[in-house]
Amino acid sequence: MVPGGPPVRDPVNDPPEPVLYMGFLRNVVAAGLMLAATLVCAAADEAELRQLVAKFADANNFQATEAVVRELGATGSPAVEGLLTALSQGSLYVRKADDAIFVGDEVGPDIKLRDPLNGEAVGTVAKAGLTKIKVNNTLRRVIRDALGGLTLGSNDPAVRLAAADTMFKNPDPATIAALDAAIAGEAVDSVKARLEQARASAVLLSDLGEADKMAAIDILSSRADQDSLSQLSRFQASAEGPLRASAAAAVATIDQSLALWQVGQNVWYGISLGSVLLLAAIGLAITFGVMGVINMAHGEMVMLGAYTTFVVQQVIRDTAPGLFDWSLAIALPMAFLVSGAVGLAIERGVIRFLYGRPLETLLATWGVSLILQQAVRTIFGPTNQEVGTPTWMSGSFQLGQLAITWNRLCIVVFCLAVFALLLHVMKRTPWGLQMRAVTQNRRMAASMGIRTPRVDALTFALGSGIAGIAGVALSQIDNVSPNFGQGYIIDSFMVVVFGGVGNLWGTFVGAMSLGILNKFLEPYTGAVLGKIMVLVLIILFIQKRPRGLFALKGRAVEA
Amino acid sequence: MSKANTILYLDGVSVSFDGFRAINNLSLVLDKGEMRAIIGPNGAGKTTMMDIVTGKTRPDAGEVYFDGNVDLTRHDEADIAMLGIGRKFQKPTVFENHCVEDNLLLSLKGPRSILPALFSRRSTAENKRIDDIFDIIRLGHRRGDLAASLSHGQKQWLEIGMLLAQDPKLLLVDEPVAGMTDAETEETARLLKQIAETHSVIVVEHDMHFVRELGVKVTCLHEGSVLSEGSLDFVSADERVVEVYLGR
Amino acid sequence: MISQRFFAAGADRRIAITISILIGVAVIVPTLNIAVAPDSAFHVPSYLVALVGKYLCYALLALALDLVWGFCGILSLGHGAFFALGGYAMGMYLMRQIGDRGVYANPLLPDFMVFLNWKELPWFWHGFDHFWFAALMVMAVPGLLAFVFGWFAFRSRVTGVYLSIITQAMTYALLLAFFRNDMGFGGNNGLTDFKDILGFNVQANTTRSALFAASAATLALGVFVTWRIIGSRYGKLLMAVRDAESRTRFLGWRAENVKLFAFTVSAVMAGIAGALYVPQVGIINPGEFDPANSIEVVVWAAVGGRGTIVGPIIGAVLVNAGKSWFTGALPEFWLFALGGLFIAVTLFLPSGIVGMWDSWQAKRSGRKAAADAADATAVPEMAIAPAAIVRGGRPAAGAAPEPQPAE
Repeated sequence: MVPGGPPVRDPVNDPPEPVLYMGFLRNVVAAGLMLAATLVCAAADEAELRQLVAKFADANNFQATEAVVRELGATGSPAVEGLLTALSQGSLYVRKADDAIFVGDEVGPDIKLRDPLNGEAVGTVAKAGLTKIKVNNTLRRVIRDALGGLTLGSNDPAVRLAAADTMFKNPDPATIAALDAAIAGEAVDSVKARLEQARASAVLLSDLGEADKMAAIDILSSRADQDSLSQLSRFQASAEGPLRASAAAAVATIDQSLALWQVGQNVWYGISLGSVLLLAAIGLAITFGVMGVINMAHGEMVMLGAYTTFVVQQVIRDTAPGLFDWSLAIALPMAFLVSGAVGLAIERGVIRFLYGRPLETLLATWGVSLILQQAVRTIFGPTNQEVGTPTWMSGSFQLGQLAITWNRLCIVVFCLAVFALLLHVMKRTPWGLQMRAVTQNRRMAASMGIRTPRVDALTFALGSGIAGIAGVALSQIDNVSPNFGQGYIIDSFMVVVFGGVGNLWGTFVGAMSLGILNKFLEPYTGAVLGKIMVLVLIILFIQKRPRGLFALKGRAVEA
Repeated sequence: MSKANTILYLDGVSVSFDGFRAINNLSLVLDKGEMRAIIGPNGAGKTTMMDIVTGKTRPDAGEVYFDGNVDLTRHDEADIAMLGIGRKFQKPTVFENHCVEDNLLLSLKGPRSILPALFSRRSTAENKRIDDIFDIIRLGHRRGDLAASLSHGQKQWLEIGMLLAQDPKLLLVDEPVAGMTDAETEETARLLKQIAETHSVIVVEHDMHFVRELGVKVTCLHEGSVLSEGSLDFVSADERVVEVYLGR
Repeated sequence: MISQRFFAAGADRRIAITISILIGVAVIVPTLNIAVAPDSAFHVPSYLVALVGKYLCYALLALALDLVWGFCGILSLGHGAFFALGGYAMGMYLMRQIGDRGVYANPLLPDFMVFLNWKELPWFWHGFDHFWFAALMVMAVPGLLAFVFGWFAFRSRVTGVYLSIITQAMTYALLLAFFRNDMGFGGNNGLTDFKDILGFNVQANTTRSALFAASAATLALGVFVTWRIIGSRYGKLLMAVRDAESRTRFLGWRAENVKLFAFTVSAVMAGIAGALYVPQVGIINPGEFDPANSIEVVVWAAVGGRGTIVGPIIGAVLVNAGKSWFTGALPEFWLFALGGLFIAVTLFLPSGIVGMWDSWQAKRSGRKAAADAADATAVPEMAIAPAAIVRGGRPAAGAAPEPQPAE
């Protein structure tokens, strides 16, 4: 085939049935005309619209209904949006008594009627008195196109943007003219860019010349996302000569940029997982790292924090539903107190008798963890509890090609805040000074007048309290059940040991690197195998550096 | 300097921990059959030096040779012990849950692999050797008691006995008389002199009376290197030694 | 010669009694189950045979753990993994014995493989149709894993809680791995629906009784072997490494090899325990790798008395009998009881039941000198019990306990 000749139709995409094919062509031509019309007559007056709407009553087959839809679309009036949407959802009715058209909402056996244009309620009628206007898929498509055309003319830039995106995703050469008009009239740059992209995607399918298509390829390749990639690769498959080469180049560029974004996405997932690990491990970094206490009940401290969140939310739901968005903020101090108090009780009741015997501490705290689990199971039952997400934490946003959910972002930020706060407490407050003093030389600290048992107890309570507030955050992403803590305990120990015991920054780096490593392994190995590999790597790593990443080297101690 | 006749030869040894130079360009030579006392204030590097000789710590720089030609930096603790260097720790370290006799039994020179240990029975030669050592360290009357039940001084002796059981060429003895009564100290000095007749010995000690009683060449360490070396009288007359001990 | 020592006084007598009891049980219980009429007062019901048979396997597992924990100070939180691996090796043999009697009647492939549309037997399933091969693997697989793991860990001198944590990570990694269907061990469901062992129906009373007798006899053998190991010069060395590892190094012993040998022997014992356990309970699944199981084993040994040979056996039987009773009568309270047991034993009964008995005996018989010397250790066997002992890093008796930052 000669370059620049008529475009080759992709046999796969060609509709097999001539009739349908003709219908398709008719549709697109009509849609194009209609769009052009939209821009010409900015608004039709209401009486005219009502006349058009009334035609639905006479339309007794799909073709006739389709014609009415086109006419309505051609008016370009935003007022018809509601009724077209209603039509596509099958809730546009003809009243048998007077052939009047209404939008209806089913209420039991009856239907509540609304005016098709202004939406005012006009009473309720039994179902029997109405005829539903039927729609099929072809018709729905026409309606969608009509709506797309309508919204291109909307006053709201967001609506226009959405329309551009819809048209980009369903490219149709027939819309090029309308898009050209819209681009010419568009004042907002970002919307204009999207309109141009939509036009480019339509151009690729049209029979326009090579130069136009080259320009279209450029525009699409600058968009560089998954959609433009698939359109370009489809085009590349059918194109010839320079166009094909140029499309291939664009595909390669997009592939490359997408690969980079993929790395970015993995890093983000890794950081997100890393901050979860850090949140879970950070309390342990204090109790294990600073005090040398192996607290196997650490996971249960996290669990208590999560259950505190649940209780706080229950109370708020019952008493002050308006405060629900604040529930996490209220739960934070509560969780800190609950877990901290339990931690204090454990330290005073069990651990202090076992100092210097780490293996016994491990066993006793394991016992504590069993008791706490069973206690929670007895009180709240063994099933998962529903912890709600405040509205400001739900949903997600797009950053370039990155999809970022708000709750993950909140956890990352929260985790960093907790870490910074803890660092501050340890390094800049008198209490932190006492803690470090006791760690380094207990006898000396005691003779300087520091009450070491009190420091021990409070340090342990602090570590437990931090675990509690970690539980508040983790309740947002995990099932809150009595086994909640079990899932975190081994990971937490791995993070602390990997990072280097007694070193908060080590814990930080350990958590982040394990998180990122995990997420980079996952695409190749799957989640479970990835986790196993990380565990094995840590085991090997500990053999190599038994004191972790950031262990201090010191004079060898005897015996 | 020739290594030929030396039992221990350290040259230019340095090691630092986190920027702190525990041993700084230390050179020390011990002739075969010699007994040497090492003194020095706290933090002078005495114990770190022993750690280096026994393979517990690797030096950052320098040469460490045993018996003329064995490079100790290439061996680990167990190897070095088998080469013939015995070490007594500052804090007496014996197997507290074994009886005194078993402590010696585990120390006796012999094969050090698992299977012989699993199937061997005690030979008459071994019994004889244990009896001999009991004669030297004078703990024969306690041979069936748990080591944990010994007094501090007795544990020191037991540990020296364990060293003897190894039959090493060189003994490193770290503060053997710390916490001993005067009578015990005297007894220990006698014991060490007896041992020195057939072994090379390095004694680290703070107790100057004890060092005087040993009557051997003295090396004073300070900040990881040799400050002064010679007879005790010579060293204690050295102004720098007086300075580091008494402060300026 | 051995028999002379066998009936010597003190701890040796205790071992002799234990072995005699176990052998007696191995003979009498099956007889009372099979040969005595069900309505007789002396009849032992089959469910009891199965239950006690299970306890005996647990006891062997606890004994294996105690060899490394009590006598060498290595707190392994991964012994359940060796137990499970031995169990899987036996389970694979039992699966192959099903032959074409499975649901899918495939003569070669076990049901779960047919279900997963596998066409051939994975390489590591070959040979398991022979009992001798499976029996070899029961010992070789846990032994090899322990050897490799210990080789790396002990050489790099990973000790104390670090070792405990990585052993726990090991069993956790295996747990995750065995849950995967791709591993070829039946995934989540594990291996079950066994039919025959050595040609006998696993469900039959006689087979069950034989398995019971085998468990009791193996436990007796385990006691004997452990006792011989502990009594040898190597055993003394093992405890020396526990109490003052660096001292043994400076005496020329390779502490890592000393530990590695005990760790490997212990893993083999655990594997055998698992292999005896699986045909008696009729299933092996990844749940056996759960780190919680491994920790539970530790408490069995602790309750009975670590650092003794009889202690772990008593502990395993008592705790599991308690578990059976609780889960029947007060299921809600079992975890409370178990958790409380962990705390109570570590706080109030550090030397376990046997250790307490010994110190009580010691006091009663007025052997005060020895008792004073070692806090609570007096009777010969207690000379090897670590619980009441002053260890390297532990504060001397009387001094207030205090935290030490992790090394």
